[in-house]
Amino acid sequence: MSIIKANNLVKTYQDSTDSNKYIKAVDGVSLSINAGEIYGILGPNGAGKTTTLEMLEGLKDIDEGTALINSINVSINPYQVKQVIGVQLQANEYFDNMSLYELLNLFSALYSLSNDPMELLNKVNLGDKANAKANELSGGQKQRFSIACALVNNPLVLFLDEPTTGLDPQAKRSLWDLVLDLNKIGMTIVLTTHNMEEAQILCQRIAIMDYGKIIAEDTPQNLILQYAPDKQREVISGNMEDVFIALTGHGLRD
Amino acid sequence: MLNKPQAYLTKVFIQIFLRNKQYIIFSLILPLLILGIVGLNDGDTDPIDIGLVNNSESNLSQELIEQLTSNKLFNVIQDSEDKLRTDLINGDLMIMLIIPKGMNIDEDNIDIKLLVDKSQTQFIQTMEPILNQSLLSIERKITGNIPMFELVVEDIKSRTLTYIDFLLPGIMAFMLMNLSIAGSGFNVVEFRRRGILKRLFVTPIKPIDFVIAIVLARMVIVLGQLSIIFSFALFILDANMVGNIFNLYFVIVLGVLMFLTLGFSLGSLAKTQESVGVMATIFIYPQLVLSGVFFPLESLPVFIQPFAEILPLTLVADAMRSIANDGLQLVDVYLNFIGIAIWIVIGMLVSTKLFVWKEVAG
Repeated sequence: MSIIKANNLVKTYQDSTDSNKYIKAVDGVSLSINAGEIYGILGPNGAGKTTTLEMLEGLKDIDEGTALINSINVSINPYQVKQVIGVQLQANEYFDNMSLYELLNLFSALYSLSNDPMELLNKVNLGDKANAKANELSGGQKQRFSIACALVNNPLVLFLDEPTTGLDPQAKRSLWDLVLDLNKIGMTIVLTTHNMEEAQILCQRIAIMDYGKIIAEDTPQNLILQYAPDKQREVISGNMEDVFIALTGHGLRD
Repeated sequence: MLNKPQAYLTKVFIQIFLRNKQYIIFSLILPLLILGIVGLNDGDTDPIDIGLVNNSESNLSQELIEQLTSNKLFNVIQDSEDKLRTDLINGDLMIMLIIPKGMNIDEDNIDIKLLVDKSQTQFIQTMEPILNQSLLSIERKITGNIPMFELVVEDIKSRTLTYIDFLLPGIMAFMLMNLSIAGSGFNVVEFRRRGILKRLFVTPIKPIDFVIAIVLARMVIVLGQLSIIFSFALFILDANMVGNIFNLYFVIVLGVLMFLTLGFSLGSLAKTQESVGVMATIFIYPQLVLSGVFFPLESLPVFIQPFAEILPLTLVADAMRSIANDGLQLVDVYLNFIGIAIWIVIGMLVSTKLFVWKEVAG
């Protein structure tokens, strides 16, 4: 059963240099994402990944097409949709002078809920950082904290926009474990990434976007069989990153 | 009633402000300093040090010295001529008088030497008539002439209004403007630039929730800050408040609302933190000069007065001053309220027209 259904989404921007020209950042994207799936959107910078996510999240207006999340129309009921989704943005800055504990209380309150911040922090391995400020965190800790913020409303769908960009291998692996754990308890996860290995390891299905369109969509296995059959035979069962991790260990360096 | 997100956001905005100790201190220190300097100096001007060499031992010279000493304008320092000359050359003294040895009634024309530093021309021009006046009144006493004219200074307003009383409402209005503009325009641009606004709007809060929280939080902050300044002026500096305090705070609340909406407009017009800084400067500084906060509007060139009168800060400062200094009622300043209302409408139109909430991502 698909929990996200998008039909022919279009987002048009005015060209910044020529006001008569229009650019379609997203050009007819249709998606059908199943409940309980980890779904990846791959693509070069400017392919329209983030814009697609932000239309689904109700942050950007949908110019054409329709999107349903849990059968709620995003354009018509954006606030209802926001109740059932959790979002991690690429930029994750927070108010100054507030601790993680206080920020989580704030985000809970914005959903008119009250959660135990410690429970959320422990879930993302930041229990000992409850009194730290967000700007004192390392890159990996920041990403894990922003996932904790996205979990305050216990969402059905979790959107992650490039969650591991800029992280060291330890932090990346730890975040992957977190994503897999959340998926295990039934959460649907939609993520964008530049990291092929990440897509291959985490995602059950992948869409590859370029110039605002989806140019391929399938399981990682099938995509490799279809587009890189020769390469697959050459693949040895590990890769350099595994070597790096084996040598430097799994311990977090945060 | 506030819903939970609104109440919580309001609380958080106040909390963020209270934790920024540096900002609180800096926003209080300037008004406190200005009021403190004016207030402590209020009423008495600093006496002018005047050096005096008395070479005569006559009653006449004694009388002159008494006359000068009793004048509050002067602080008479008697010493030897050499010592005082050195002081004058070093700039420790502005002026010195030398009473000649033969000063007594029998002499026809007595020259009293006045030694000055010629670079202080303006000062000397002021001093000469005062000294002459003192000498003249002594002369009259001795010759028994009755003066024909006497200048009596009388305040037409039956209460004593000092400069600090005039200054206080203006300073409060100016503070109110700065705090409100900083709290809306600056905050919105900063939150937008850092992606904090976007993060907030991932949650199901509506733009109006955010605006209500910012307005309420700023209202509390500004009222708190102004009350500190107000109490300082009333209780420490003995400033006078003639009018009704509730009327004064009513104007303050309206003023905060006006500057918050205008601040939102500035924040909407400016896309970056730098440009909002420049725009706030353009908005704030002309008003500092043109709004009559420090000097009465009447001292401005006539052609600029009609323009100055409709400035947001003028409307607030004038209403506050009318209440605090002249004891007017709210109905008496209804024109100011109309002006403030018009600015609020302009601010709301500009900010709702220009601030696209869907594009908080920037």
